[in-house]
Amino acid sequence: MILTLLKRELKVARRNWIGLAIPLLFFIIVVSLFPFAVSPEAPVLQKLAPGVIWVAALLAMLLSLEQFYRSDYQDGSLEQLLLMSSPTSVALSKILAHWLLTGLPLVVLSPLLGVLMQINHGFAHADHTWVLMLTLVLGTPTLCLLGAVGMSLTLAASRNGLLVSILIIPLYVPVLIFGASTVTASLENMRYNGELAILGAFLLIAIVFAPFASGRALKISVG
Amino acid sequence: MAKAWRWFHQLGSPKYLFQKTGQWLPWVWAATLILLAVGLYYSLWASPIEVRQGQGHTVRIMYVHVPAAALSMIAYIAMAIAATVGLVWKMKMAFAVVRSIAPVGAAMTFLALFTGSVWGKPTWGTWWEWDARMTSELLLLFLYLGYIALHASFSDRSKADKAGAILAIVGVINIPIIYFSVKWWNTLHQGYSVTEKGALDPAFQTPLFLMLGAIYLLFAALVLMRLRAEIILRNQKSRWVKEWASGSEVKS
Amino acid sequence: MSQSKDIQFDGLYAHELTVSRSEQILLEDADLHLAPSTITYLYGENGAGKTSLMRCLAGLLPSDQGSIYWNKQPINHPDSSYFQDLIFLAHSLSMKNELTIAENLSFYANLRLKGGISQQSLSKQISDVLLELGIGGLENRMFAELSAGQQHKVALARLILEPAKIWILDEPFVNLDQKTRGWLAAKTLEFKNNGGVVLFTSHHHIDELPVDQKVGVEHE
Repeated sequence: MILTLLKRELKVARRNWIGLAIPLLFFIIVVSLFPFAVSPEAPVLQKLAPGVIWVAALLAMLLSLEQFYRSDYQDGSLEQLLLMSSPTSVALSKILAHWLLTGLPLVVLSPLLGVLMQINHGFAHADHTWVLMLTLVLGTPTLCLLGAVGMSLTLAASRNGLLVSILIIPLYVPVLIFGASTVTASLENMRYNGELAILGAFLLIAIVFAPFASGRALKISVG
Repeated sequence: MAKAWRWFHQLGSPKYLFQKTGQWLPWVWAATLILLAVGLYYSLWASPIEVRQGQGHTVRIMYVHVPAAALSMIAYIAMAIAATVGLVWKMKMAFAVVRSIAPVGAAMTFLALFTGSVWGKPTWGTWWEWDARMTSELLLLFLYLGYIALHASFSDRSKADKAGAILAIVGVINIPIIYFSVKWWNTLHQGYSVTEKGALDPAFQTPLFLMLGAIYLLFAALVLMRLRAEIILRNQKSRWVKEWASGSEVKS
Repeated sequence: MSQSKDIQFDGLYAHELTVSRSEQILLEDADLHLAPSTITYLYGENGAGKTSLMRCLAGLLPSDQGSIYWNKQPINHPDSSYFQDLIFLAHSLSMKNELTIAENLSFYANLRLKGGISQQSLSKQISDVLLELGIGGLENRMFAELSAGQQHKVALARLILEPAKIWILDEPFVNLDQKTRGWLAAKTLEFKNNGGVVLFTSHHHIDELPVDQKVGVEHE
């Protein structure tokens, strides 16, 4: 079931790639605004880098939520999926596909933004880029999972575009805190294993609760 | 046990609930007003000013701030419990309770933030400090507003109720996570902490406890009033509501 | 929740069903039995709740009260084969514009058959049924490129490609040409004669399809 759905998602995405590229482009453009607004000096950008990149990643994930269940809800395929398998597994496979299509590209693009934000400034052999990528690998699935809950709750609501942001942003705060501070700790040559572990713990909690909650919400939205 | 269950089921009947809350409400209001009068007398006149930290009269803000902050959290938990009851036992009146608590809880959260800010200005010299508690309180306000916005965005009330209930439950799972994260973040940045070390001077305790009781009762009274309005709104078409609206009493 | 042991009816049986939509009661305490090898015609005015009733019977819309049984077992019972046996064709065609016809159809077939069919024989079946429907050779066209009538035919092809024991069809005959109407009526009769349960709605009377039972939904 999950594999069949995943294949379909990837096929649809391949033919609708522009919809997925826009959040990524947004990710890059937002980050590139900061040198203009604050200062192009490397030490300043470096200090801002973890926060700016993480906030941009979070906003890009929010933007991409529009692509999540919406078209399946509108063309009726969501209810067909719910007839043929359990709501939780529908949610789980959609979340997996969505992360592969939005979260993963963000992770892959993040080194580029690290360069733009001078993340390795002043370090000869620095692996801050890896730390940044690692936090995004652990953090973006959690954002996807929480976003899925928000999106499935607002499918049948009238003003859904911005509504989902309002519901979800407070829930994103813990991920943002630990994601950005892991990178900051690495920049300050401090240990960051604890922060990474907590990001991982958030992911586990979200995996346990979010697909179930999202599945229940899908049933309600379709009903 | 069987009796408790029957009572629980009876509460699921809108008419019964409307009748019962109608009987309770005058008593709750009476108790609220008495306790509020005594509490305000103690907190505004009959209690000493703070001298140790030089807060003077501003310490009196605490008598509103602390109860409001305590209630803001408890109200959200109550919402989540009612939401669970509604989803698990399919009890529609529980959703009415969730919807009734939300605005009152949001108002309490706002009150806590506002009084905190007003208290912060003379104490710390700033209207806003990214203190762990105030930040959590701000996020809690967003959670309340999110619920209210979500509920208002459906044309179908039963969908609004169920979607809102799921959001309330997801929110309540997140509250400890948010609180823990914000606290951790706060110590990292060595911000202020308002946490008072040591026991509260007994002179401050009496008015604080009185006000805690008074604000709890005020909350209960407001929620009951909203709940009654919700019951009427949700049962406009039933005969007993029409009879009630035309002025006759609700009989069982 | 009443027990399933006292239900004596095979096929689909709804007991004391109350369905409402946006606080409007559409159906109150209704009993409905769709026996195997029967075709049931659901009629009623627009907005009377035909679609809601169908969605409720398909398990999509929760009922306010009452239970629905499939072969004497509640439809949401873990052992129930109901959702395996059911094809529900709704107003929305449930096809993705970004996929080809073959991709759309084989997606649903694979989902139902859980890989129990070789992709080769599936694509053979798909081209056969498309040929019958008069849209042969269009397998690899994007769904979005088809006309409304052709898209509708693609949705109907699911009835042939996916094995089922009950069809719930919302306005299946709408916008169909004479020939396809005949085709659908013949396939429906064939399905019925093999023990299938059919429930369908239609605006007009369908001459080609003899019905065994008529059920009306009315405004209060």
